[in-house]
Amino acid sequence: MTRLERRCRWLLRAYPGWYRRERAGEMLDTLLEASPPGRNWPSFREARALAIGSLRARGWAFFLSILWAGTGAAGAGYIFLLSTHLPAIPTYSRIPCWAGEPGVIIDAGYLGAAAWLALTIPVLVTGLIRFNGLGTPAAAWGGAWIAGLALMVPVARWQTSAPAVQACNNQGCSLAGYSHAVVSWGELPVCAAWLALEAVMMLILARTTPARCVPQRTVTST
Amino acid sequence: MREPTYFVLASLLDGPLHGYAIIQRAAHLSGGRVRLATGTLYTALDRLTADGYVELVREETVNGRVRRSYGLTPPGADALRAEATRMAEAARLVTGRCRRLTASGSARKTSPA
Repeated sequence: MTRLERRCRWLLRAYPGWYRRERAGEMLDTLLEASPPGRNWPSFREARALAIGSLRARGWAFFLSILWAGTGAAGAGYIFLLSTHLPAIPTYSRIPCWAGEPGVIIDAGYLGAAAWLALTIPVLVTGLIRFNGLGTPAAAWGGAWIAGLALMVPVARWQTSAPAVQACNNQGCSLAGYSHAVVSWGELPVCAAWLALEAVMMLILARTTPARCVPQRTVTST
Repeated sequence: MREPTYFVLASLLDGPLHGYAIIQRAAHLSGGRVRLATGTLYTALDRLTADGYVELVREETVNGRVRRSYGLTPPGADALRAEATRMAEAARLVTGRCRRLTASGSARKTSPA
């Protein structure tokens, strides 16, 4: 196996298993033929087309779930970052901030939080469409979705009742001498649990063949 | 019908072809404009087979790998012909009128204001 072939095989792994079983062989053949001799890497165009094609093959449910899990993971990373910083003084914005936090990060935080919230319902809807008629995986996936949202409720409550906010309310936004991080350590295991739930959801989705898959093939002449 | 789809179907007019041959033929027919990447080609083939425009006609093993050839179905040929007619009509609409526009434009330029 040449280096190019190994890398093409690796790129083709972006496609779901049910699709690869049907198509990976001939796609590899085409990829190798389309690459000029002496190349060790498939071209950027080919790699991009494979990435887009694999997302199409996996369907909307998977695409939206990837975005949802991605923004959620970025949020978890942000909360971890917050746990190592002192709170912002004296105002407390709608997302928690640390003292001297660059405006760019605050804006990105708002954007991420809005995207995560906006994706929550579409993820559920497209997922349930995908699982049409499948009992156990649909129930497991839906359960993970509900559990994931339930986990976010205490986080949201902690954030509005965070020590920084309380101090702001009680002392008229004077946090002089305040020495606690913006988030409590309790939020970190919640984030870890959410990420684990997301991983389970993605696994269940990845193992499901969508209703509209590679059409049945009939060889009319051999 | 999008341009890559049109050229994929057009490349099969002379008979069934396999993946890379479709890419080459589509590039040749479009004068190098349509350069299909492998991922794009197979997404298009998935859709075209689902629509019944293209079908798998031959399966052979080359260099230990499966090679499949695809052919145009009668509904696919009909759809391609309908698209070609539509584009020819749309083209006639413009090419006919363009000549008149250029003629009147040059006439206005020479006439005194």
